Amino acid sequence: MAQDMRTVLQESRVEQAVMDRYAAEAAKIVGENNISANQADLLSACRDYWPANSIWMREGVFPALPQLVAWPKTTAQVSKLLALANQEKIPVTPYGEGSGALGGVVPLRGGVTIDLKLMNKIRVLDERNLLVTVESGLNGALYEEELNRAGYTGGHFPQSLRCSSVGGWLACRAAGQFSTRYGKIEDMAVSLEAVLPDGTVFSGRKVPRTATGPRVDHLLLGSEGTLGIITSATLRIWPLPEKRHLASYTFEKLESGLEAIRLFMRAGTRPAVVRLYDGQETGNHFPELGDKRCALILLIEGNARLVDAEAEVIDDCVRSEGAESAGAEHVEHWLEKRFNIGVASMLFQKGAVLDTIEVTTNWHNAYTTYLAMQDALLGVEGTMLASGHYSHVYPEGAALYMTVVGFPGGDKISYYKKLWQTAMEACHKEGAAFSHHHGVGLHRGLWMTDEHGSGLEVLKKIKDALDPEGIMNPGKLGLEEVQLWQK
Amino acid sequence: MAEVNMEQLLNCALCPNMCRCECPALQATGREAVAPAGKGRLAALINEGKLNWDEAMLEAASYCLACRGCTIHCPFSELNLCDELLFSRMPARPQGVTLPQVDPYLNNLRKYSSPYGQKSDPVIKTNRPGERAGGEEVIFFNGCTSLANHPPSIEAAASVLLKAGVSFRMTEEDCCGYPALVWGDRELGRQLAEENKRKFAESGATLLVTNCPECWLTFSEYYPDLEQELSLEIIDGPSYFLRLIKEGRLELKEPDPGSSGELGAGVISYHDPCIWARTAGTISEPREILQAIPGLELNEAQPSGSLTRCCGGGSMFQLAFPDTAAAVASRRLKEFPSEAALVTACPFCREGLLQEDRPVLELVEILDRYFK
Repeated sequence: MAQDMRTVLQESRVEQAVMDRYAAEAAKIVGENNISANQADLLSACRDYWPANSIWMREGVFPALPQLVAWPKTTAQVSKLLALANQEKIPVTPYGEGSGALGGVVPLRGGVTIDLKLMNKIRVLDERNLLVTVESGLNGALYEEELNRAGYTGGHFPQSLRCSSVGGWLACRAAGQFSTRYGKIEDMAVSLEAVLPDGTVFSGRKVPRTATGPRVDHLLLGSEGTLGIITSATLRIWPLPEKRHLASYTFEKLESGLEAIRLFMRAGTRPAVVRLYDGQETGNHFPELGDKRCALILLIEGNARLVDAEAEVIDDCVRSEGAESAGAEHVEHWLEKRFNIGVASMLFQKGAVLDTIEVTTNWHNAYTTYLAMQDALLGVEGTMLASGHYSHVYPEGAALYMTVVGFPGGDKISYYKKLWQTAMEACHKEGAAFSHHHGVGLHRGLWMTDEHGSGLEVLKKIKDALDPEGIMNPGKLGLEEVQLWQK
Repeated sequence: MAEVNMEQLLNCALCPNMCRCECPALQATGREAVAPAGKGRLAALINEGKLNWDEAMLEAASYCLACRGCTIHCPFSELNLCDELLFSRMPARPQGVTLPQVDPYLNNLRKYSSPYGQKSDPVIKTNRPGERAGGEEVIFFNGCTSLANHPPSIEAAASVLLKAGVSFRMTEEDCCGYPALVWGDRELGRQLAEENKRKFAESGATLLVTNCPECWLTFSEYYPDLEQELSLEIIDGPSYFLRLIKEGRLELKEPDPGSSGELGAGVISYHDPCIWARTAGTISEPREILQAIPGLELNEAQPSGSLTRCCGGGSMFQLAFPDTAAAVASRRLKEFPSEAALVTACPFCREGLLQEDRPVLELVEILDRYFK
């Protein structure tokens, strides 16, 4: 017998008779074993790694529940599931590995959650053209492992590598820790195969560049399931690097580190990993360096001669800004620990609220945005820590990644909202962009008018054209107001 | 039985799960409910009284192959999710929530002391045929799965022990109790443990050797929890056989003509059973044995050793969830070099890997062929 579950964001649900009819047809499409309406599956597919979900989990409540979960194995099955949902006006929430940090998979209006994890094959490894065509449900670590076996790398190493999917990366415009050399996922995506709500399947050309009008497949990059479902992608790959050079430096001031990075990016070097930590994070991650200086860790890889040349140029640039060399061991330590985020579970258990907020700056406001956001976060009562680092850099600027931990006295969700409100206001005031790679999901949608300006209306028009029934991941990406989740 | 460690279970439930890529149940089914944190969350909420057991919840919480693959990348050194799930499931049966498909096996276990049903003629092998049991140094415990599915491995084990001059006895066995524990019948598990403890104590043996990782795990880790700790030394088959070789009690011999036929060109790949590799730490021992044999070339699976992946046989999955077990095995089979014959040291792994045309042998069968 179904148990009564308390939900806090459930806006509506589809009439059960309609869902029953859909489930019967869906079973014909994907097979009886690949749909489920049992509570274990519904409760599990309703959430991602959004901190609000962790807060609610401790209270025994759920954000919102789907009414059915379906696991297609082919693009054709996805097409049929979507066409049918469109016909019945059933909300659809695409699901990958559930590592999203902003509630992007919360099924606010019930309906069907389409879990893509059984679409997990590498379809074609095209070694000559350095391309791989991979289905969107494949786990990130397994994707990289399979490429490594063949002598290649996908170059994409988000901290969530082991708990995220290729489709999730594409749908959220993800970034990996090696992004300065290999790019963000949108730089790696040559073409996408996607299904629109009416069941139309389309894909882009698998060529380096085109000049035949806008790349409509690329429209799905960052669409977070609001326009359609990405079923596979052709991505760039690289031969496994011949050489890897590790180096770390410390600076007396964060600004000097930023200037050093700006200089070596301007000089044309592209180290894979560039991470500049403020004093607090330097002390946390590398206690032996203390918290008085700011650590910069670098990893350069690729062709051996190019690596040596880049290392030399970079060394010149950072020393010109007063850096002191700190050796390779800190980078080795980071490589070893970079996927370990166990502390988050422990802090949540102790009643803490923690989150990370990543934004994109240009060089002119990289440092001031850090100061403003840190000030804002520390200004919220209950905040214990607000620290930052820069971890994805470009000739024109850098991503700033703030970490905040608080022990609020009262309602945790209210505190959480205050944190974000003040941080986003500070970010906006400084002219930085509201997200670098975590995406929008449900939560960040609250600030998308500020982010896009009139561009948001353009996006809404595109949404209306592709998804006239509004079935695709309702309430996400800031495309519509969500009554139960306001500022 | 040990209590659920809620702090550790919540650590898992609140974690994004860097272990997801190593969970065979998740990878085979795609079901979020059987992801490590999916199971962990359901179990935590049930333990806290915020959810109740129902059949679907129990099935999800039972979708653990006990391979401990989730420990590979786990940031919590004290977390053993497989055990937390096993302990969490225990109250479901008394509440009337069961997995119907395992009931026939549990009935067999109650009636015949084996989940597979009535045993054929008792297997009694010893270096002292015709003499009364008692006084042997070693009890060799085959386990229900070898007895039911692959008697040649038992013949091979007895042959090897005889060649080595071991004072041993294999006798009619009662199940170690593992299936009962996995399927939530704690009392039945305890009864079987008590019976085995009594038999072992009466035998006077000082060493218990088993080729079955599940039996080894149960004797080593769960019997103490059931207050049935054994007083004799417990050792896994591969380590024991290597010990015999190092003591000079087994020597290489020319294989009998034609006996290596299924090994083809002699390229073999050793599949590490999860429990041997990740819990017992028995990784180098089988390789030392195999690498000592001239003419055999060991070609490793990717991954292997402590990073090995499940064959689908862990946690009695082949009986409870055969389709998923087959899907897990199918995935594992892709990780072996295509030309290699497979060798393993677990009756469940052997069953799981027997999906293709390629031969799968137990380590003890190789030992019997190449050692005298």
